[in-house]
Amino acid sequence: MNESVSKVSKSNRIKFIVVGLLFLSAIIFLVISATQATAQFFMTVREVQETTKDLSGENLRVSGAVLGESIRYDSENGLLQFTIAHIPGKDREIEALGGLELVLHQAVNDPLNPRLEVRYDGAKPDMLKDEAQAILTGSLDQEGVFIAEELLLKCPSRYEEALPEQAE
Amino acid sequence: MLSTLGYLALALAFLLAIYGVVMVLWGVSQKSKPAIESARLALILLFTLVSFSLIALLIFLVTDRFDIAYVYSVTSRDMPAYLKMTALWGGQSGSLLFWSWLLAGFSLVFALRKWDNEKEMLPWSLLVVFVSLGFFLALNVLFESPFERFWHMPDGQRFLSVFQPAGAWPLTPEDGQGLNPLLRHPGMIWHPPTLYLGFVGFVIPFALAIASLGSGRRDQRWLEIARPWTLTAWIFLSLGLVLGMRWAYDVLGWGGYWGWDPVEIAALMPWLSGTALVHTALLQRRNDSLTRWNLVLIIITFSLVIFGTFLTRSGVLSSVHSFADSNVGLPMFIFTALVTLGSLGLLFSRWQKFDDPEVFEFALSKEVLTLLLNLILMSILVICLLGVIYPIISDLFTGTQVTVGPAWYERITGPLFLLLLFLTGICPLAAWSGKQLTRFGKSFWLFGLFSLAIPFGAWLIGDVHHGLTLIALWLAGLAGILIVSEYFQSVIRVRTRQHEKWANAFWLPIKRHHRKYGGLLVHLGVVLMSLGIIGLEGLQKETQVTLAQGESVALADYQFRYEGLESRIGEDGISITQAILTVSHDGTLIEALYPQRDVYLNMGLAVTQPAVRSNLARDLYAILVEYDPDLQNTATFRIYINPLVNWLWIGVGVMTLGTLVAVIPERKKKSI
Repeated sequence: MNESVSKVSKSNRIKFIVVGLLFLSAIIFLVISATQATAQFFMTVREVQETTKDLSGENLRVSGAVLGESIRYDSENGLLQFTIAHIPGKDREIEALGGLELVLHQAVNDPLNPRLEVRYDGAKPDMLKDEAQAILTGSLDQEGVFIAEELLLKCPSRYEEALPEQAE
Repeated sequence: MLSTLGYLALALAFLLAIYGVVMVLWGVSQKSKPAIESARLALILLFTLVSFSLIALLIFLVTDRFDIAYVYSVTSRDMPAYLKMTALWGGQSGSLLFWSWLLAGFSLVFALRKWDNEKEMLPWSLLVVFVSLGFFLALNVLFESPFERFWHMPDGQRFLSVFQPAGAWPLTPEDGQGLNPLLRHPGMIWHPPTLYLGFVGFVIPFALAIASLGSGRRDQRWLEIARPWTLTAWIFLSLGLVLGMRWAYDVLGWGGYWGWDPVEIAALMPWLSGTALVHTALLQRRNDSLTRWNLVLIIITFSLVIFGTFLTRSGVLSSVHSFADSNVGLPMFIFTALVTLGSLGLLFSRWQKFDDPEVFEFALSKEVLTLLLNLILMSILVICLLGVIYPIISDLFTGTQVTVGPAWYERITGPLFLLLLFLTGICPLAAWSGKQLTRFGKSFWLFGLFSLAIPFGAWLIGDVHHGLTLIALWLAGLAGILIVSEYFQSVIRVRTRQHEKWANAFWLPIKRHHRKYGGLLVHLGVVLMSLGIIGLEGLQKETQVTLAQGESVALADYQFRYEGLESRIGEDGISITQAILTVSHDGTLIEALYPQRDVYLNMGLAVTQPAVRSNLARDLYAILVEYDPDLQNTATFRIYINPLVNWLWIGVGVMTLGTLVAVIPERKKKSI
């Protein structure tokens, strides 16, 4: 009798394991296919310009400093164009060079810094201005222009200053 | 003077937390009841002290004491008094104080309950509570004090300190920096405290779980005492998440509500494991199964809460949510690791004692569906975790950072959320094992077929052709019908079998089984919320267009006509430019929309304010993208039609109501 009980519970357990494994393999499949379709490579402007790999069509994420005088906006067609200059990709490197504000300022004013032309189909964000940090996702077209699908902007904020400038 | 007192009160509260820890440990080792009692009573004093600090800070905020660095950084003279008060949680140190205060309040209410039937659990519960309090108060006292003031020396040197340095003079700025205008929205004002209530609330179930493990009491008592706390924490966490969505929807102006930002995910993860816990607790109550798994779930949930606060407060992640620059990162990381490893270690040391009977039979029963629910929720949790650390792993192994975005999360979790929606409807109806076939009878298949009318209708009338959207609509419809019919069946049963009046028939089932019907109501809320999400994800229509004055554009069945621009200088130096868009539906004028752009002249900051007109069927949502300030005759708009969105907010209301019904304490106690 004992044996039959353990047999039942064994086949019961196998059913759970089989269904569980099926479920997990479905999830693993979803993760792999989503990663192949949507994962983005984070690259700096310099890496984009200097790589020998053909990047056209790849999902990329690029960060750079916005050149103020390069901003052109065609509001009729909602087409935004601007150029970004290379900044280091890692926060730690930016800190080591004296912080984001300084790095952005130098990036924009250094003519030897690699640059990348960007096109974006959509609204012009409020924060798009000279020396802002742009984080773009999209891909390169054949001419090496970055076609951005998503546009994130960061400005070194004056709110982060610890001490007031003036006091009465 | 008051600021020094506020700081000293906090320091004293911190010492009391240490006193509590010492007394509990000593009391346990010496078997001294008075020591434990003394620790318990110390909580009253501790809460009073933290409350004193909190009130002191509130007074500073309201009375514009800009010599206090915290007040200077989060308020300004032009802010109304209520906003100044809510600035309490507008910055790092203030929100930490608020957090500690909530934690002290919860701990006090919890500790003062009657412990007659579970005396052995009290010391362990107190230990957890005091350690957590000690940690957060230490952060407040040692690293992030909200009572630091500005000082300057005769030589012009300026610095921050709580106490007056020798020879220094207080420095009082004329005005504060003020609250970022993007954050001046009810959703954003109530989002942090609601979330904190949820986060902090989980400390009590966690304390009870540790008490159960520590004292070796294997029964379900901890779950039963924890139940109202778990449900309350869970609903506050849910509300906090939805308030954040509402803010994003109303203010950020991208027509969305959830961006899979790492910090959003950090708040979603404890919600996922907490949701799993709410359900598996039912199984343990039913047949004493999953004892270990429930302990694992509460440990995971509380660890994720601490991990989430670590992510937001340490500045590891840069995101709209984080507090910039912080010195609490390392201590928070260490605490997170200690909590997780310590409690898992305790669990493994008691692993044999807390064994589970093997009771699950493979069938379409409530038990097995709940296990499936757990599998889905935990899978989503692991996927979230994977997404957050993906850039770090890929950088380590391949040298290139690979990041994953919203599209990645949506592709993977989309089908899983659909499966959850399906379970939302059938799980409450499934019977406990052994009886499943009697309940899943003809009616289930009937409802299944019947609800197909919804996707068919959407396809034929609403012109919806997207497969996943149609499936989602079908599942939502099926779940809704199943839940509502379950309730009406019991109403009719009471009416016909017990010959009650109709009014009683509607009320009695809920009164008699408030836990069950509260739960059903929560599920109905989830179904309603899913409608809003389906509307935004699957049915949204959008266009961007530049119009000259008098021109119009059509989107779906609506025509939007641009009538003109109005500019004015508002209060507090805000320059407001407003466009007027009239909306017609099938030729009749129905609405006017006023999307606007506010420029905060004194801050040099522009904010786009979307115009939203909503009813139960859809939201009309317009953003003024750009305008020509000289000619006033062209403006660019982005216009969205978001069907069903309102049900997202209504659904969370229904969910809250359901939770309330479920946690109402029973009047008559059945057990001793």
